Amino acid sequence: MKTSAVVSDTIGPFPSTIGEEKAAALDTIRRAQSGDVDAFELLYHEHSPRIYALCLRLKAGDTSDATELMQDVFVRAWRRLSTFRGDCAFSSWLHRLAVNTMLENARSDNRRTARVLPMDDTSRLAGAARSSGVELKLDMENAIASLPKGARLAFVLHDVEGYQHQEIAEQLSVSVGTVKAQLHRARRLLRERLER
Amino acid sequence: MTHEVIRHLLDDYVTGELTEDARGPVADHIAACAICGAEVESLKGILARAAELPKSVEPPAEAWANIRAAIERDKQAVGADHGATRRDRWRPYALAAAIVLAAVLSSGGTALYLNSRNAGADSSRPAANSDSSGATPATLVAFTIEENTYLRNVAVLQDLLDRQESLLAPETVAQLKASLRTIDEAILEARNALARDPANKMLIEMLSGTYRQKMDLMRRTAEMTRGS
Repeated sequence: MKTSAVVSDTIGPFPSTIGEEKAAALDTIRRAQSGDVDAFELLYHEHSPRIYALCLRLKAGDTSDATELMQDVFVRAWRRLSTFRGDCAFSSWLHRLAVNTMLENARSDNRRTARVLPMDDTSRLAGAARSSGVELKLDMENAIASLPKGARLAFVLHDVEGYQHQEIAEQLSVSVGTVKAQLHRARRLLRERLER
Repeated sequence: MTHEVIRHLLDDYVTGELTEDARGPVADHIAACAICGAEVESLKGILARAAELPKSVEPPAEAWANIRAAIERDKQAVGADHGATRRDRWRPYALAAAIVLAAVLSSGGTALYLNSRNAGADSSRPAANSDSSGATPATLVAFTIEENTYLRNVAVLQDLLDRQESLLAPETVAQLKASLRTIDEAILEARNALARDPANKMLIEMLSGTYRQKMDLMRRTAEMTRGS
């Protein structure tokens, strides 16, 4: 389907100011909220690379799980679009939805089967790098993927994605102290693994 | 501050999240301590590498087609639902009333209790209810088990409701989501209060009650979709 650049030819020149860009983005969101799947596709193409990168790290580099999670996130986003009222950036809303979806899925996964990623499994992120065509920092990515889940979540959300301790604590329903402890653990383990 | 205490502050020192008061003594110690100095350099290295990681990765090309197919299936299911008989149509309204009631009870109870605690704190008086503290270890263990059960059950029910969402009228879905958000906010507020006061028996009981209300609401909604 069409990308945002192609569509922009049909609706006029590229917006020249930040205000116009915001208005155009809001218009796309409103059209998607009213049931326009093509508008939603524009939102998908704009936001999916960031959401997929997040999903890859949350899923320890497993491309199949990350793709499934990302698809789940966007299907839920479509269903819940009416709840987006513009109180925050659409990308933040989508990020939060991705983390919540991952947490809900993880709880379901835990019930179904205990899935453990081998600590030295490097093939999945290598696969991600190849399939994405982006040169990932594989040693760092592999070290992150090998972290225990709680520590990985805290590290990815705080040190990679830039969330604050309080925001992470609220999303994970844990205390700020727990988030800090997981972060400390993650950084210590990463140092051990990268400096070996 | 001792070396051991300062080692626990190095993360916050490196990320700039240490208070101004603590920053000076920690910096002085780092300048004099080779172990802490090396740890700080190592931490900075980790953070720098994290900052360099790509923030965007192009997803597989087929992903959008799968998402679009799921959206189309949703639309068809909603279309089929719109053709439901009038007999089935009364149910969402009864359910909507139950949904609103559950949200009001959960958030109202939490707000009332937390406000009364704040009022007590403001006037420097002891809490009115003698049960507001003193949870026994057995109570805490029971609550931990209950909370884990709640998390598991809610995940199952959420999964079920997500799959069956299209069987409900859109206005019922919107009402349910708004009410669940209200209940979740009440839970978060009570959970944060409990984090600050972990042995507060009243908070534990209130949170348990709110967990049960949320599960009950989700169960009733799930049963409604099964019957439609």
